Amino acid sequence: MKRAIVLGMVAMLGLAMAQGRTVNLLWSGAVTGPTSDVGGPYGAGIEDYCKYANEQKLIPGVTLNCTVRDDQYQNPNTQRIFEEALDRAKPAMYLGYSTGAMLQLKPLINEVKMPTLPASAHIGLIDPPNNQYMFLPVSSYSEQVVALMEYINRTDKNAKIALVVNPSPFGRAVVDHARRAAQRLGQSIVDVREVGGGNLDNTALLRALDAAGVQYIIHQNVAGPVANILKDAKRLGLDKKIKQMGAVYTGGSDLIRLAGDAAEGFLWASSYYTLDENTPGIALQKQLAARYNRSADILNSTNYTAGMLAAAIAVEAMKRAAQRFNGRIDNETVYQALIGMNGPNAFKPGFAVSTKAGIEIDFTRSEQTGAEGLRVLEARGGKFVPVTDPFTSALFRQVRNP
Amino acid sequence: MRNPWAQTGNYRTSYVQDTTIFANYREILSVVLLLVALCILPMFLERSQVLVLNFILIYAIAVLGLNITTGYAGLISVGQAAFMGVGAYTVALSAPNLPFWLTIPLGGLTAAIIGFIVGIPSLRVKHLYLALATLAFQEIFVWVVGRSPALAQGAAIPVEMRNFLGLEIGFRNHNYFWYYVILFVLVLMVMAWRNLLRGKYGRALIAVRDNDRAADAMGMDPGRTKLFAFALGAFYGGIAGGLLAYMQRAVVVEEFTLGRSVALLAMAIVGGLGTVVGSLLGPAFIEFLRLYMERLSEWMKSNAFIQSITPAGVDVASALLPLSFGLVIVLFLVFEPRGLYNWWRLLRSYFRTWPFKY
Repeated sequence: MKRAIVLGMVAMLGLAMAQGRTVNLLWSGAVTGPTSDVGGPYGAGIEDYCKYANEQKLIPGVTLNCTVRDDQYQNPNTQRIFEEALDRAKPAMYLGYSTGAMLQLKPLINEVKMPTLPASAHIGLIDPPNNQYMFLPVSSYSEQVVALMEYINRTDKNAKIALVVNPSPFGRAVVDHARRAAQRLGQSIVDVREVGGGNLDNTALLRALDAAGVQYIIHQNVAGPVANILKDAKRLGLDKKIKQMGAVYTGGSDLIRLAGDAAEGFLWASSYYTLDENTPGIALQKQLAARYNRSADILNSTNYTAGMLAAAIAVEAMKRAAQRFNGRIDNETVYQALIGMNGPNAFKPGFAVSTKAGIEIDFTRSEQTGAEGLRVLEARGGKFVPVTDPFTSALFRQVRNP
Repeated sequence: MRNPWAQTGNYRTSYVQDTTIFANYREILSVVLLLVALCILPMFLERSQVLVLNFILIYAIAVLGLNITTGYAGLISVGQAAFMGVGAYTVALSAPNLPFWLTIPLGGLTAAIIGFIVGIPSLRVKHLYLALATLAFQEIFVWVVGRSPALAQGAAIPVEMRNFLGLEIGFRNHNYFWYYVILFVLVLMVMAWRNLLRGKYGRALIAVRDNDRAADAMGMDPGRTKLFAFALGAFYGGIAGGLLAYMQRAVVVEEFTLGRSVALLAMAIVGGLGTVVGSLLGPAFIEFLRLYMERLSEWMKSNAFIQSITPAGVDVASALLPLSFGLVIVLFLVFEPRGLYNWWRLLRSYFRTWPFKY
């Protein structure tokens, strides 16, 4: 009798624990400080998707404890927040943010075997060493720049291109890949300029590039500095002469808001669907923004979509880990679920465009880029519209490891 | 002879007595107690809390250096973070070939050489002009690192040390191991600092700060003294940078920008310029201010009532941290220009003279 009571109590305790099980997910990023124009909507996307996941019980029997922390774009803060989480509530997955902090945390992330999805798409994050647990939700900055160069090559052989990049590791990372790609495509990289957020007058820059015969400027930056260059190009009458384009964080609603009509004609490489497209992901984005009273600025931001995509991948990996490992959700099982997210098991939430093979998000142990498909979009009438079908850069994998 | 343990005033009667490192036995006892407390402190803390302590101690070493250049010699330096960076990158480049107890001093020495060169303008210019010269060095440093393939163009260079004398260092003990190393280095640096200031070189620094022409007339060489101050301040910065590199497991240029230099200056001002105690209190105060403001900001964001009374579109919670940082510096400059050290001095004085008021 006694034994039956004890067994019964143990079973009830087990049941209670299974019912009230909590799994932790951490994001730290720049809600304030530099690049908070990206970090704010990105964090909101994660927050909202987590609420939705709990409301819809996307992971059966599990409550998601989603922690969103502001690291103010300072690496010591990111390190402290990450280590605090490891001490207090070991997260099953970590959603990171800036290039510098993520590069710095790479050895620790690898040591504690924490699957990590950063907001930064710096190629160095998935390059060895210590790259085993780092995954990019969408294609890297380098891949996007090479894809833009391939796009130019469709209509204009032997083009003269200038790169304008942010004076930071995330800006500079694309330069070598772009040079190698230019060599193979027969293009010439005429100039590489570094431009930060304080570029209030770009007359000298634009005049010099014009004098050098530059036909295309490819930006690897955030929207603010790009908007200033676009406005100056329009003022100088160079907007028709020099075509400008950029990688993921250069474009979107932020650029339109900052540059106004000077943004017209800007070409943007992006893996994400736009708000005008009727996909399951975008429909969910609109629904959640309305449900959680998000402002129009946040709803319209691609970074809100990007945050949701990162959270969706994490939630899906946790769900699959629970199914595959008898309800066990931790960093080890989530990693296994993540690297098994390919082929027929690829994930299709409808936030990013699919490749020709119809795959939206897939990962393997060695292929650590999620959405490999992207499109070129053009700013027309105050919004970005796709001007290409989804494609994957043919050249990037060759120039990455020449 | 008076009982040295019950000393209540300054009874020094010789120059030798006046230049002792510790004023009395009680001071020695309090330092020993403080060190014992610091040694056992990590036993009561989580790993991530030890990380915060490590940051404070590293910044304390950098601020000690700044206090030599700015606090003692009166040469305003806005480039201390760059000197830290020189130390950190030296460590990053030499770590694959040398043990850490050689790479860190090497980082300090490299920073000292650079500090000597950066100090050359101090032979000709003073005050704001000199501050601008050091600011230029700070910018040149970031520019050079960002364009050097050997330094990964400012991206991360891993600095890993997984083994020390058979002790495996990893996630569990990394922060603890480096806490004791940093504490040991800090004690050495503080002793050297105190020792320096009781000798002729330290006094020359003060003399040059107060009036360099008078110092020259008294037979000191102001030029050499200024270069010495820059080199030594940079040496401390280099050591701090080297320790930071090991503790963060990688070197990234973002750690050594103008913002960090300004933060170090703020720590020196808040702590009290030209004091050892201030060099420890300033970094601790600023780091804890950052932590508690972050907690307050997060609490405000999660509190529905506070959110409901905040005007739409104004993120008061997020603005708290930069606001408090600026406000603290301004308030200290206005109301307590001698910094937290002065509070410490008044407290000590109170207990020394208790139960009497004076």
